[in-house]
Amino acid sequence: MPAIETTALTKRYGDSVLAVDDLDLTVDDGEIFGFLGPNGAGKSTTLNMLLDFVRPTSGSVTVLGYDAQTEIHEIRKRIGVLPEGATLYERLTAREHVEWVADTKNADPDVDALLERVGILEDADRAAGGFSKGMRQRLGLGMALVGEPDLLLLDEPSSGLDPAGMQEMREILREEADRGTTVFFSSHILGEVEAVCDRIGIMSEGTLVTTGTIDDLQGELDLGASISLEVASVPEDLALESLEGVRSVAVEGTTITATCVDPAVKVDVVERVAAATAVEDIISEDASLEELFNTYTHGRGRGRNDSEAAPDEPVRTAEVEA
Amino acid sequence: MSIASVARKDFLDVRRAKIVWFVASLYLLIAVLMFYFGQQGVDDPEFHNALLALSGNGAILIPLIALVTAYLAIAGERESGSIKYMLSIPNSRRDVVLGKFISRSAIVVGSILVAFALAGALGLLWYPSVDVGMFVGALALTTLFTLTYVSVAIGISAVSASRSRAMGGAIAVYFVTTVLANLIRTGLDWVFNDIAGLGLSSDALTFTESALSPMNAFFRSLGLVLPDDLAVTAPDNPWYLEPELMLVVLFVWLLVPLAIGIIQFERANLG
Repeated sequence: MPAIETTALTKRYGDSVLAVDDLDLTVDDGEIFGFLGPNGAGKSTTLNMLLDFVRPTSGSVTVLGYDAQTEIHEIRKRIGVLPEGATLYERLTAREHVEWVADTKNADPDVDALLERVGILEDADRAAGGFSKGMRQRLGLGMALVGEPDLLLLDEPSSGLDPAGMQEMREILREEADRGTTVFFSSHILGEVEAVCDRIGIMSEGTLVTTGTIDDLQGELDLGASISLEVASVPEDLALESLEGVRSVAVEGTTITATCVDPAVKVDVVERVAAATAVEDIISEDASLEELFNTYTHGRGRGRNDSEAAPDEPVRTAEVEA
Repeated sequence: MSIASVARKDFLDVRRAKIVWFVASLYLLIAVLMFYFGQQGVDDPEFHNALLALSGNGAILIPLIALVTAYLAIAGERESGSIKYMLSIPNSRRDVVLGKFISRSAIVVGSILVAFALAGALGLLWYPSVDVGMFVGALALTTLFTLTYVSVAIGISAVSASRSRAMGGAIAVYFVTTVLANLIRTGLDWVFNDIAGLGLSSDALTFTESALSPMNAFFRSLGLVLPDDLAVTAPDNPWYLEPELMLVVLFVWLLVPLAIGIIQFERANLG
């Protein structure tokens, strides 16, 4: 049974805005799935439909095998959610927040241990109104973890966290996944999904443009591995193209760049060039996720029409932060 | 029980709000003033006069207390997004509306109870006799009246997507049903009789104004608890102006806004 399954899921706002368009998405039990895309791509709208905050125009959603509209109560018992940008209850303390969730879920967690785990134990008895954005995210994560959920749904979980906080968040997500929890989180930050996800899906303009493991996606795109050599002078008759596994060669000034099918071929390239001239520098790159991401969402994420954006995801100019 | 869990958490939250304490203390002040001036310089002060003064003058204040305490209960959470935390754990939307109604009612009714307790104590202290039956009756009717406005406020909050709309709705209801309550009758008379020429009787107009304003219905329902010598209802009143029927009107005001709120909130997009 997949943890999340949407079939032909569509959400329209009015006549002109198509926030989610015919989405078929499957998230398997036990995996960490990164839901990626620029702001306004339809990620939040999709999450809102998983949680029955927003009703689909057409199509269906099941979460943990339950229908997201008719059986939402069963779903809520089994999930933990970190909503994006939601404020907490300013007058309640961190401890009271966690106790309230535990009370509602009929769970009996060790509240101190939980707050310690998300790193806000020393602020446990302060009202959340005075919390920084990072502390709010930590508390939100702590609330999501109450009752050992089968599925964690996290909307932009690292927003407001410093690098150390992001690292701690990733560790917690891995621990939860090791426990067997399925983790589904949305992000527009590439480094985050690259570091922690088993599989990613990329949304753009309301459609899922691709899904797969990061290795799959890099292979599928065949971006190749490139190596650049800074040389004293570019020798003639190198005939690098004739090496097996070299797809293309470009020379720019004193820089020779070869794109290889397989990273192992790079050694052959270096040997061939070194035999002919003095190599001053070597720069080796694999196709990065950022490159991948831009390939899929290129020209879509930026400069979109405001009218195309889902109402809950206002388009901002600096959308894709690498 | 999710309703109880929503109510407990909300009670914990809202009892720390200063504005709620402020408006609630106004009612306490009215109680003290009415019972103080009811016996000040009077040779043989009557307890029921002070109690009626509290019920009557307090009735202007109760809608204000109830609306201020409850109008943001749901709309505020929708605007801030905290409703997403609320509905990500095993709470249904109906649980949220009913739980909030219970917690906000507890706050407002709690302050009414404190004010009445103080009024009762002052009655024993300053007045030659205390009419316990009338006191309990006035308290019960005041409580019912209070709950109708909490229901109205929760209903407004449940159908409003933002704080500003909820505030607009609450202010509109307050003005139409209390400050302008006396004009309702004039307006109805003008529309139905002067313009439409329906020739509605005075009794029919009285019923309509009572049905349209819980405050008017509350005033007429007080006939139930008045001592016989003070009864204001004329003996030849039609049945639909009897105080008993005003109780029915108040119960309708208690249930209908909540029901509309639940139905609308269950349909709402909370994106």
